[in-house]
Amino acid sequence: MVEEIRKVIQELLLKVSGLYCVLITDRDGVPVLKVLTDKAPELATRPAFLSTFGLAIDQGSKLGLGKAKTLICTYSQYQIVQMNKLPLVISFIASDTCNTGHILGLEKYIEPLLANLTVAVADTQ
Amino acid sequence: MEKQLDRVMDDVLSNPGVIGCVFADHQGLCLGAKGKASTDSAGIIGAITDQAAKLEPQHKSPVIVLENDTRTCIIQRSGTITGAIYKNI
Repeated sequence: MVEEIRKVIQELLLKVSGLYCVLITDRDGVPVLKVLTDKAPELATRPAFLSTFGLAIDQGSKLGLGKAKTLICTYSQYQIVQMNKLPLVISFIASDTCNTGHILGLEKYIEPLLANLTVAVADTQ
Repeated sequence: MEKQLDRVMDDVLSNPGVIGCVFADHQGLCLGAKGKASTDSAGIIGAITDQAAKLEPQHKSPVIVLENDTRTCIIQRSGTITGAIYKNI
């Protein structure tokens, strides 16, 4: 099952130029599935970085605009797009010039794959 | 803030045969969509333009026309903005 999901995500990685990796983690940043290219920055794939998403969306929810769905952070060399699929979080790490809209468009391809993983994570919590 | 773009989109839609339009910025994020056009297409439209521009780097802003039996989609970038217009054939 995981191998099938990995294969689909690997194909998506090739479709978006400048996309370095896709990580599916739980809310604490613990990786459930990692699909990396060799250009992926190692520091950004660690739980210490990925778990900040949970804190950020908690704060974002206080803006009164409803539940936060997506968080986009643009840095000088990279951009990180994180999607709220609690109990899972999907993180995309890409170059700063990568097409953000194209990354957001991947949501509809990845979402159907998450059902089984969500059950697995929900069972352990 | 987006009144001007709204007006442009209304103008585009008032042309005969036009059924929808969508505009994206340089990051592929949707600026606006009207008619039978999805905001989800904005990223793809930007990516298509980027790839098509690589075919002839010395020429700027190619016009890309995608066509099926019933509809055409015309895409062009102007500056940082990419627009796509959907038309019935």
